[in-house]
Amino acid sequence: MMNLPEGALGFELVAAEPTVLNLPNFWHRAGKSLRHDPVALVSVAFIVLLVVVAVFAPWISPYNPVRQFPNGLTPVGAPVGPSSHFLLGTDSAGRDVLSRLIYGARVSLLVGVVATSLASAIGVLVGAVAGYAGGIIESVLMRLTDMVLSFPILLFSIALIAVTGPSTRNVVLVIAFAYWTYLARVVRGQVLSLKEREFVTAARTLGVGHSRVISKHILPHLMPTIIVYGTLGIATSILLEASLSFLGIGVPLPQASWGEMISEGQQYFQSAPWLLIAPGVALIATVLAFNLAGDWLTDVLDPATRQGR
Amino acid sequence: MARPSSGHLVSNAHPLLSVRDLTVHFRLRRGPKSSRTIRAVDGVTFDLAAGETLGIAGESGSGKSTLARALMRIIRPTHGVVTLDNADVTALKGRQLKVFRRRMQMVFQDPYDSLDPRMSVREAIAEALSVSGTPREKHEAAVEGLLARVNLPSSFARRYPGQLSGGQRQRVSIARALAVSPEIIICDEAVAALDVSIRAQVLNLLKDIQRDTGVAYLFISHDLSTLRFMADKVAIMYVGRVVEYGTSEQVFTRPLHPYTKALIAAVPSVTSRGRARLKLSGEPPDPGNPPSGCPFHPRCPDAIDVCRVTRPELAPTPEGQSVACHVVLSRGGLESHEVAP
Amino acid sequence: MSLVDSGPESDAVVVVDSLSVTFPSDAGPDDVVRRVSFSVKEGQRVGLVGESGSGKSLTARAIMQLIPSPGRISAGEIHVTGNVAAHSSSDAARWRGTTVAMITQDPLSSLNPLVRIGVQITEMLRHHLHQSRTEARTRAIELLTAVGIPNPPRSLRQFPSVLSGGMRQRVALAIAISCNPRLLIADEPTTSLDVTIQAQVLDLLEKMSAEHHSAVLLISHDLGVVANFCEEVLVMYAGRIVESGPTDELLENPQHPYTAALLSSVPSMTEDLPERLTSIAGSPPVGGVNIRGCPFAPRCALAQPQCLDTEPELRELGTPARRVACHAAGDPRWPGRPQGTS
Repeated sequence: MMNLPEGALGFELVAAEPTVLNLPNFWHRAGKSLRHDPVALVSVAFIVLLVVVAVFAPWISPYNPVRQFPNGLTPVGAPVGPSSHFLLGTDSAGRDVLSRLIYGARVSLLVGVVATSLASAIGVLVGAVAGYAGGIIESVLMRLTDMVLSFPILLFSIALIAVTGPSTRNVVLVIAFAYWTYLARVVRGQVLSLKEREFVTAARTLGVGHSRVISKHILPHLMPTIIVYGTLGIATSILLEASLSFLGIGVPLPQASWGEMISEGQQYFQSAPWLLIAPGVALIATVLAFNLAGDWLTDVLDPATRQGR
Repeated sequence: MARPSSGHLVSNAHPLLSVRDLTVHFRLRRGPKSSRTIRAVDGVTFDLAAGETLGIAGESGSGKSTLARALMRIIRPTHGVVTLDNADVTALKGRQLKVFRRRMQMVFQDPYDSLDPRMSVREAIAEALSVSGTPREKHEAAVEGLLARVNLPSSFARRYPGQLSGGQRQRVSIARALAVSPEIIICDEAVAALDVSIRAQVLNLLKDIQRDTGVAYLFISHDLSTLRFMADKVAIMYVGRVVEYGTSEQVFTRPLHPYTKALIAAVPSVTSRGRARLKLSGEPPDPGNPPSGCPFHPRCPDAIDVCRVTRPELAPTPEGQSVACHVVLSRGGLESHEVAP
Repeated sequence: MSLVDSGPESDAVVVVDSLSVTFPSDAGPDDVVRRVSFSVKEGQRVGLVGESGSGKSLTARAIMQLIPSPGRISAGEIHVTGNVAAHSSSDAARWRGTTVAMITQDPLSSLNPLVRIGVQITEMLRHHLHQSRTEARTRAIELLTAVGIPNPPRSLRQFPSVLSGGMRQRVALAIAISCNPRLLIADEPTTSLDVTIQAQVLDLLEKMSAEHHSAVLLISHDLGVVANFCEEVLVMYAGRIVESGPTDELLENPQHPYTAALLSSVPSMTEDLPERLTSIAGSPPVGGVNIRGCPFAPRCALAQPQCLDTEPELRELGTPARRVACHAAGDPRWPGRPQGTS
C-alpha cells in the first residue's frame, strides 16, 4: 500500500479561497434582484417617492391644504374640477385636492410607520418571551394574544376611539393595539424552532445566559421576519387608518387624510368624481406597493437566513 | 462508592469524571391516565481519567446522545450521580452550573447547525472567551491562538460559517470548545457528517490537542473504526445500558458480549472483505417498550432461559473487561474469542 | 475514449459514454460531471465511490434521466439495454422503473408518506406490468415476504412512517425490483441506517439482485461497503472517474494517489493502527468551473508542475477494465514515489 506524505507541492491548502461560495451582502443581492424584477422595482420606487413626498410636503405642495379658496368653489358652491390652478380640483370646502393628497400621504405614512413599529415592538417582545420561556408564561401570553386576536379589528378600534376620542395619537395607539398579535404569533413559532437549533444549545453549554442568547442568537434570526411583517403591516395600518377616517373617527379635520377624502368623495361621486378617484388611486397604489415590496423582501432576505447551507 | 459489580470501573485512584447509575427517563403522556416511560439511559456507570479517551459506541436507541446531553446538563438526569474531580455536579444550578460548564464542553455532530450563521468566527470564539472571563483586550490574541491550535489561518477569524467547509466548521467548533479551557470535551458524533478524507484530518487534530493539553475525551460514535483509532477505553451501549466495557484492545480483539461481536462483524471493512460475517437479525428495540430480561435476547444467537427473565448486570471478568451477559458470565467469562482477521 | 467503440456491448445493461452534466451558476456553467464513461454488464455489481462534490449521485440520476433542474446533460450519451436513452424525461418514463430502478438514501422521500405501502407497490405492478388488482396484491405480498417484512398482509395497509428506517429500505427495495429491472441503482442505500441494519439490507440487496438477475450500481462514500459488495469499483473525484477496476485489484494495488490516500485514511478494524491517520490536506473542490490540470493536484503528494497544466486522461492500464487518470500511474521513475512501488 502506498504510504504518502501530505501535500507535495507545498500549497497553502487551507488558506486557499473557500470552496464554498462567498455570500454577497444584502444590498448587493437586493440591487441585483431588483434589476430582474420590474414589479418589485416599481413598488420600491413608488415607496421611495411616497416617502419623499411626505417628507417634503411643505415644499412640494402647491397650496396650504386647509386653506379654503374663494375661487375654489363654483358660484353655486360646488367643487371645481381639475384645472390649471388646481391640478386635481377642489373639494366641497374649496380646498386644493392635490395639496390635501400630498399632506394626506404624510398622515398615512406617519400613522402607518409609527403604528407598525409600535405593534412590532410589542409583538416581538410578547412572542419572543412566550416562545423562549415556554410553560406557564407561554400559555398565559398566548391566550392573551388569542383573546385580542379574536376581536373584530374595526369594531374594536371604533369602540376604543369612542372611548379615547379621535386624534392622531389615539389612532396610532389603536392600530398598534390591533395588530401586535400577528407578529407575536409568528415570532413565537420561530423562536420555538430557533430554540432547538444546535448553535443555541452550543451557546447554552458554553454558559451564555438567557438574555444574551435571546439578544445575540435568536433576535438576529428574527429580523427578516420582522422586516417583512413590518412592511406588510404598514400597508394594513394605512388601510385601517383610512377606514377609521372614512368613518369619521380617524385623524380629525381639517387635517387631510386619504380616508376622510374618500368619505367625502363618495358623497360627491356623481358630480365631482375626482374627489373620490384621487385619494382612491393613491390608497390602492400605496397599499399595493407595500404589499409587493414586502413579497420581494421575503425573497431577498430568505437566503440570508439560511447562510449555512 | 464502589459497587461490587463494577470493580474494574473504579480501578483508578482518582478518575476525573465519575458517573454512577446515570438514568434519564422521559415520560410521554398518552392520555389522562396512561403514560409511557422511555428509558433512554438506564443506569450507566463508568469512569473517565484525565487525558484519556473513552469511546461510547451504539446504534440508534442506544441512548448515547442522551447520555452526552445529560452529562452536559442540557437534559436533566432522572437520577444517578455525576462527580467531577470528586465534587458532585449532578444537581448544580445557577452560578455553580456556569462554573461547571467551563470544565466540560461539547462538539456537536452537525457542522452546519452548531455555529450561528450570523456570527463570524471571531465573534463565535470571543463569545466563549467572554463567558470564561477573559478580558476583552486579550480576545484578539486568544482567537488567533485558538485558530492556530486547530490549524486554521488567522484570516479565518473574519469569515462566516457559510464561507467554511464542513471540516473547517468543525475545527471552529473545536476552537470554541477549547476557548474555555475545559478538562473534558464530549465529541458527539463530531466527525460523522464529514467526508472521509476530512474526517482523518479532524481526528488527527483531536489527538494532537489531547497530547498538547491533556484534555480528556468522551467520544461518542456509531462508527467502530473511528473509535478503535481514538479511544483508550470503549463502552458499548444497547438500549440505554452499557453491555460491554474494556480497553480498546480488549473490546475489539476479544469481544465478549454477543452484541459487540455482531456489531464488529457488521462493520464493512476493506481489510476484512469477503470474510463470512455473522449477521444479526431483527431490529433494535423501542426504548419505550424494551423486551423483558436482557433487552438483547430476541436477537441473540446465544440466548438461554434466564436471559428472557432477568436483566444481566455489568460485571467484571478476570481480565478486567466488564460485560452484562448471563451466558458469558456463566461460562466464567473466559471465552477468549479472537475476531478472525 | 469511447466505450461503445469497442464492439457491440451486447451484454451491457447500461453504457455511459462521455457523460457531462452541467449546472448554470453565477460564475458560468458548472460541470459537475465531466466526461464520465463506464458500463455495467448483465448481473454485474459495480460500485461508484466518491466524496461530496464527486458527482457520483448526479451520474446515477443522469442514467435515470432525473437530474434536478436547472441541471442538464450537456454532453455524452447513455445507452440503456442497447437503446440510446433519449434526453427527454417522457421517453425515459417508459423504461424507468421497469428496466432501470433506483433506491435512495432516504426512503421517506422516495416513498410517499401519505400513501399506503400496498398501494405504492401494486401501483407499480398494475401500471408497468398491467396486472390485475388481485394479481398485483398477491405479487406484492410475495415481494414483501421476500424482502423480509413481517406480516406482509398487514404491512400492505400501513403507511411508511410507522416503519423503521431499515424496514422502509426493504419496502423501497421491494418496489424497485417488482418489475424485474435489468439494473438496480442504489444511491447511498444504507448511509442513514445503523450498521447492523446496514449489513442486513446489503445482504438483501445481494440476494434480490441475484434472484432477479439484476445488475447493481451501488453508490457510496463508504469504501468498506463497496469493497464487500461490488465486483468492480469506479472512484470519482471532482466529477470524473479517476480510477476503476476489479475490486480486489483496485484495493490491493491502487494506482491513483487519491484512491490510495482514501484507503489509508480509514482506520482499519483489524490491523495495527498508526499514531496518525493518513489524511489528505485541503478539501474536495466544489464545482468544475475553474479546474485546470488535475483537480486533485493541490492535495496530491505526487504532484508535479505538469499536473497543474494538463488534466490526465482516463487510460487503460493493461486491461480495459483497469483504468487510471493520473500522469504518475505506471511510471516507476516518477519523482516523489516511495521506492519500490509502481
